[in-house]
Amino acid sequence: MSFFLLILIYTGIYALMAIGQNLITGYGGMLSLCQAGFYGIGAYATAILTVTFGWNFWATLPVAIGLSALFGLLIGLPTLRLNGDYLAIATLGFGEIVRNVLNNWVSLTNGPMGIQRIPMVEIFGFQINPYRKVAFAILVWVFVVALYFIFKRFAKCRLGRALMAISEDEIAAGSMGINVTIYKVVAFMLGASSAGLAGSFFAVYSLSVTPGSFQFMTSVLVLCMVVLGGMGNFKACILGAFIIQFISYLPQLLGVTNLVPAQAKQVFFGLILVVMMVWRPQGILGREKFTYVKKSAKGIQEG
Amino acid sequence: MFFQHFTNGLTLGGIYALIALGYTMVYGILKFINFAHGDILMVGAYIGMFSFNFFRGDAPLGAWTFFSFVLAMIVSAAFCAFLGMFIERVAYKPLRHASRLAPLLSAIGVSFILSNGAAWLWGTQSKKFDYPFDNTPLMIGGVAITPHQILILVVSLILMVVLKLFVDRTRLGKAMRATSLDQDTALLMGINVNQVISLTFAIGSALAAIGGILIAFDYKCYPTLGMMTGLKAFVAAVAGGIGNITGAMLGGILLGLLETFGVAILGIPMGYKDTIAFAILILILLVKPEGLLGKREKEKV
Amino acid sequence: MRGKKLVLILAVMLVASLSLFAQASSDSDSYKIGFIGPLTGDNSAYGVFCRQAAELAVNQANANGGIDGKMIELIAEDSEGSVERGLAAIEKLSSSDNIVALVGPVLTGTAFAVGERCQNEGIPMISPSATHADITNIGDYIFRTIVSDGLQGQVAGTYFYDVLGYRNIGCLYVMNDYSKGLYDGMKAAFEAKGGTVSAVETGNVGDKDFRTQLTNLKNSNVEAIYIPNYTVEMAQMLEQAAQVGITVPFLSCDGFSNPDIYALAGDFTDGVIYVAPAPAKESDLHTKFVSEYEAAFNMSPDSFATNAYDATNIIIEAMRSAGTDRAAVRDEIAATKDFVGASGVINFAPNGDLVAYQAIYKVEGTTPVYQGSYSVDADGNLVQVD
Repeated sequence: MSFFLLILIYTGIYALMAIGQNLITGYGGMLSLCQAGFYGIGAYATAILTVTFGWNFWATLPVAIGLSALFGLLIGLPTLRLNGDYLAIATLGFGEIVRNVLNNWVSLTNGPMGIQRIPMVEIFGFQINPYRKVAFAILVWVFVVALYFIFKRFAKCRLGRALMAISEDEIAAGSMGINVTIYKVVAFMLGASSAGLAGSFFAVYSLSVTPGSFQFMTSVLVLCMVVLGGMGNFKACILGAFIIQFISYLPQLLGVTNLVPAQAKQVFFGLILVVMMVWRPQGILGREKFTYVKKSAKGIQEG
Repeated sequence: MFFQHFTNGLTLGGIYALIALGYTMVYGILKFINFAHGDILMVGAYIGMFSFNFFRGDAPLGAWTFFSFVLAMIVSAAFCAFLGMFIERVAYKPLRHASRLAPLLSAIGVSFILSNGAAWLWGTQSKKFDYPFDNTPLMIGGVAITPHQILILVVSLILMVVLKLFVDRTRLGKAMRATSLDQDTALLMGINVNQVISLTFAIGSALAAIGGILIAFDYKCYPTLGMMTGLKAFVAAVAGGIGNITGAMLGGILLGLLETFGVAILGIPMGYKDTIAFAILILILLVKPEGLLGKREKEKV
Repeated sequence: MRGKKLVLILAVMLVASLSLFAQASSDSDSYKIGFIGPLTGDNSAYGVFCRQAAELAVNQANANGGIDGKMIELIAEDSEGSVERGLAAIEKLSSSDNIVALVGPVLTGTAFAVGERCQNEGIPMISPSATHADITNIGDYIFRTIVSDGLQGQVAGTYFYDVLGYRNIGCLYVMNDYSKGLYDGMKAAFEAKGGTVSAVETGNVGDKDFRTQLTNLKNSNVEAIYIPNYTVEMAQMLEQAAQVGITVPFLSCDGFSNPDIYALAGDFTDGVIYVAPAPAKESDLHTKFVSEYEAAFNMSPDSFATNAYDATNIIIEAMRSAGTDRAAVRDEIAATKDFVGASGVINFAPNGDLVAYQAIYKVEGTTPVYQGSYSVDADGNLVQVD
């Protein structure tokens, strides 16, 4: 059961990132491939502040969120006017830069050795030991649920509707008086900050960070979670996070890791991606419909 | 010293350019990032190595080894052309009218299958691919350059010219350009769009195979051969103006030179050379989103 | 509605797998050894080498009747080279498989995170390849059958200065824990003696083209170049060094003990001097291991695989006398005395580090020639022991 809890914790951490990615990609229609970069920034912010400067975890949380949002602003402001694939490539480049810098800036990040012995989280004097999975799972999922409601709120109000309008037709949205740049940048920053938050939790879960954890593949996985679950649907991307984690640990869950060659799992994962895209490209749950604007939502889907 | 660095940068750029040509080919026609391109390249390198070893037998260096090298290239290019067409048929064709994300993720899936499948079949160790000719470096005015480096530059130049002529001058090339502009209209004009796209993948994959073989002499054969180099080549293709064949060549050479000189002359620690590559990419995209030689696409309302 | 159906199917899959999973974890007092290493991804070659070596050790023990007639089971988990996966692997090994001891992790980054966990759970762990000096300081359950960066680097630096007489050397390493750790260790010892490391070049993990760095080194007037790295990267460096025309000798590390280097770099290996674990004098275990490994897997083992083989055998020996009790197995491992393994005679220091002499080899053509075994005493002086 303990292993299942670990999957739940990982699902929670990835769900945080996926929720952010959903706001960026699902609502804003922006193809971003650098959640891993913000994830790394969040994780290293927490690691460096707790280990080198002796901060409390809770004090590092706003810094991690703020810092990743700031980088979101820095990268977003110039690049978000690029469209489609170009944005994907620019964000991909940014993600690689983050990893490259984490690996090379030895005086700050300790380079490839990473940072070890990150102190455990304490809450009201009660230590949340990541080896005792239940408490940590609850902690992460409290944040997932909170973020779910906050982001859903964002998506339901002006921001979300503006983003959907922009993703449908940027020029038309602009001519309707929507400030395209501001909405895009805000969405990007919010999405980035959720990945920063996830990074902080990963740091205190693994109690150590190394640059190897923040590779391009992580960004791709998060994107897969959103697309697999269903774009523009926050519930679906949490489901997507669970499914992908579940699949990637399936051989372990079944206790057949010795029988299956290590690569078979990855090949299987690739197959699932292809089959899923060919069979049901809108994801498992598909886009969430607005009940109070039924007509227009339907119109959007058909258009 | 300057000229040595220049030569190193130029040949590194030649490698990027060679891969970038294939990327640009597919993107130019389909507006679709083929993430599996690097993995097809890797498969091409393995197939090339196996068939080279098969043709060569125990023969010592000489005319026969070079001939078997050419044979191996043809075999590998043909194999990869079919592989590319097969992948297109199975994983991309059904998604032609889906959202832009679907084929991207499908391509990532294909990339997973290929690279891990290769590791499964052929193991994860690097395998040596013997040079089919004497690779002793030539000294030209105090600058060392190997025949292999010259070969890479020559081949990428030839391929660039051939591709350019093919796309600009032949009927099929015209059909490709038409498909690239507007698939539906091309269909109405009597162009077999499916066939053209299939052919594009075949050519792109054959190019990847040739690139893979040439790179594997230097880098050896291993399952992740296409990944980082492929990513960089892609950056080069975008920087040069993706979809533009001359641009891919220019972007590749430029990237190789910048990586080398950023380190060698500006004294930036070598570890940061990927940062240089990607920072340049972002900068180019900001200043000239269509790339150095790309054409600006008009936004339609 | 298709979506709902899918969710339902997934839920059924989940329940089914959970029930299977519950069955899988019932059998708890058998002799289970865990293995963690990168079996897929960028560093998978090293993980696969080590897993095969552990497999070989377990199969041989089982062929000889196991432990008191009971079979030993090796459960290998993939870390994909990441901390995240490594933690999942140890979670699974410890909670559902209930392993007695662990061989691995192979990479340093994973070893830190997994080591903390093993210490906390009381699982004896022996890493065959994680060289960072601090890993064994995690606690008393952590051991390794590879010398720390510190020791290998110390012997290297002192030997280069004292015996080879170099005063000014250059270095090319890549930004991973192994390569950088060795560089740091060597540099500290070499500079403590009074030498200078005047030209330092770095590269990234996965780089294959080192011509720029080598051109810089060529123009730096160093007497020799130290290239601590994995086998494949060193092969690249040697070949490209010859191409840009470097004539000064190359110095290297235990990554050079992988015979693959001669297949990959051929004649370019001529003249390289490298530091590696001292061979076992008393037995021909190493040659025996190599031939058995080649027979079983159709490839030659590297030095990490040799270490993994020894680590697995040490655990098996410990289980013979201590059974499946983890604490007792730990005590047995700690008490290991003069264990004759394929990599040499193995003893553990009180902190769990390997106590071993370092041998110096010089490659002539493509054959390594043994130059002697050394250690460094407390005052930093080189002591020849063989």
